[in-house]
Amino acid sequence: MTSSLELRGVSYSHPGAPARTLDAVSLQVASGEMLAVLGPSGSGKTTLLRLTAGLVTPAEGDVFVGGRSVLAEPPERRGLTMMFQQPHLFPHLDVLGNVAFADVVSGVPRRAARERAQRFLDLVHLRDLARRRPRELSGGQEQRVALARALAARPEVLLLDEPFSALDPELRSAMHDLLLEVRAMLEPTTLIVTHDLAEAALADRVAVVVDGRIEQVGPVDDLYREPATLTVARLVGGFTEVPGRLSGGVHSSVLGAVEVRGSRHGQPADGPAALLVRQESVEVVPAADARTGATGIVGRLSRSGARLVAHVEVAACSGHPGVTVRAELPPGRRVAPGARVGLLVAAACACVQAPTPQPAGTAGLATFSQSSEAPSGGTSAR
Amino acid sequence: MRASTVAARLATAALVAWFGMPFVPLVVWAFADRWTWPSTLPQQWGLRGWASIGQDAMLPALARSAVLGALVAAVATPLGALAGRALGWRLAAHPGPPTLLLLAPVALPPFAIAMGVDSVLLRARIPGTLALVLVLAVFALPYTTAVFRSAYTGLDPELEHQARMLGASARQAFGRATLPALLPAAGAAVALAFLVGWSDYIVTVVVGGGQYVTAPVLVASAASGPGNEPTVAAYALLTILPLLAAIAAVAGLTSTRRGRVRREGEPA
Repeated sequence: MTSSLELRGVSYSHPGAPARTLDAVSLQVASGEMLAVLGPSGSGKTTLLRLTAGLVTPAEGDVFVGGRSVLAEPPERRGLTMMFQQPHLFPHLDVLGNVAFADVVSGVPRRAARERAQRFLDLVHLRDLARRRPRELSGGQEQRVALARALAARPEVLLLDEPFSALDPELRSAMHDLLLEVRAMLEPTTLIVTHDLAEAALADRVAVVVDGRIEQVGPVDDLYREPATLTVARLVGGFTEVPGRLSGGVHSSVLGAVEVRGSRHGQPADGPAALLVRQESVEVVPAADARTGATGIVGRLSRSGARLVAHVEVAACSGHPGVTVRAELPPGRRVAPGARVGLLVAAACACVQAPTPQPAGTAGLATFSQSSEAPSGGTSAR
Repeated sequence: MRASTVAARLATAALVAWFGMPFVPLVVWAFADRWTWPSTLPQQWGLRGWASIGQDAMLPALARSAVLGALVAAVATPLGALAGRALGWRLAAHPGPPTLLLLAPVALPPFAIAMGVDSVLLRARIPGTLALVLVLAVFALPYTTAVFRSAYTGLDPELEHQARMLGASARQAFGRATLPALLPAAGAAVALAFLVGWSDYIVTVVVGGGQYVTAPVLVASAASGPGNEPTVAAYALLTILPLLAAIAAVAGLTSTRRGRVRREGEPA
């Protein structure tokens, strides 16, 4: 049984915190849909989940499960279940007893509950571990049992609070596969909180939360193609913000004049604006190449997965400030630091107006996994 | 064998000797019918000391001690659980003052506290036996609090939340998630509080006013008379036995708990 989930205008302040942890957040998750809430630590995303679960009470707003307000209900009567960062298996129960927990507390006879639990244990491929004690399991097995236990509660909505972040990368991707498998079979409505872009990509849609506000909601591809704000672009990473001026749909900067297509997030007004250029869409060519719009000096090289990224310093010219452009090199291609090269911008991203000057030290842009440098100071609360 | 191992074994042997030595004359006296100076060993072995126990007031006194220990445990264990929950889970905004207050009965001379509390209880017209239990519970509270505090510190409060998220009410969450995890600590706390009541002398004499004759009171009064050594030694051994059993129980329960803590320390 799955239901839709809706948060409507939810606000929350941690006691003593100067800023709101969550500020008028609204989200809708359709029945059977999986929505990821993506944000740096301290963005309020875990609070969002705990508030949905009923473990904290919002100052304003309402929470609906299947169209019914559950704000007045205690956590256990909201039709939700939650997987925490830690598996939190009950140490005094064996694996099957853990998975059967929800049925047992709801009054199902122990034997029947354990029989049902066995089916969910099969689902997470741990059929043979039924009699084990939690302390005899590995970390990955513990989270599998926790997932089986959550599913056995047959929730209307499944809440996942970075449940795989403590696992090593290999186990994490195995858990991601398992999650997809389970989704295909049971289609639970799922709200997952994560700071990992790859994990968010498992979801149908992603909501980016920064400083307690939703910056963007949409498929994960949109975050790369059309980040709604500079903040989102900086968190996604891999963009160069080229300062310049926008005038009549043309952005002019040290890279020359670039025609900017409008985005679904709206075309910014004429004036100072940053052009967002993805590192994959910049080609490094010889400086003498006739097609090149700008030349620069290769500063340093960094690595992005299998590929090298050249950081090309383009000097200020004709009133436009200089900028360091990130350009991803094709596999096997190398350029020497100090060399003068030309840059070809294949397709610029939607132009985004600069609301704040870029903070110092973000030349190598922050990504979600290491986003301690969120643009404004932010709150230390979760 | 490495030098450090040798040193550790020597230290262990020294400790065992240090704690075991007092029991040697006690055991010898308990089976000596006649043992006078300067003889190294008793001139006459026998069971005179033990024979007097059956006909004497000792068995009722032991029973009274056991009841006192049980009552003290019944009061001090739940209070210690509450205090330990608040301190272990850092629920108090300023944990310093309550911690000091809870430690005071151990830190201050028991005689002073017993006298002070006794006069308060007398004015409050609280009956003697109840007063005795309450005062001893105050002395037991630091121990039960300390045991529960460390148990709660090692227990993630989220475990209760996890139970709630699986459909358990607040009461079910405590009963089915937290309580089972706390059972070893609860056992240790009960045993320690029981020992406080079981072995107390000063408070029983001061607050009980000599009306409530427990095993330690009886042993002490027998010891003050001459020629009673075999009887006193037999009494003393008898009072120690449950104590040793309780310590063994605590040790057993603590080692179980340590096993669980180790699991939590594993890499996730």
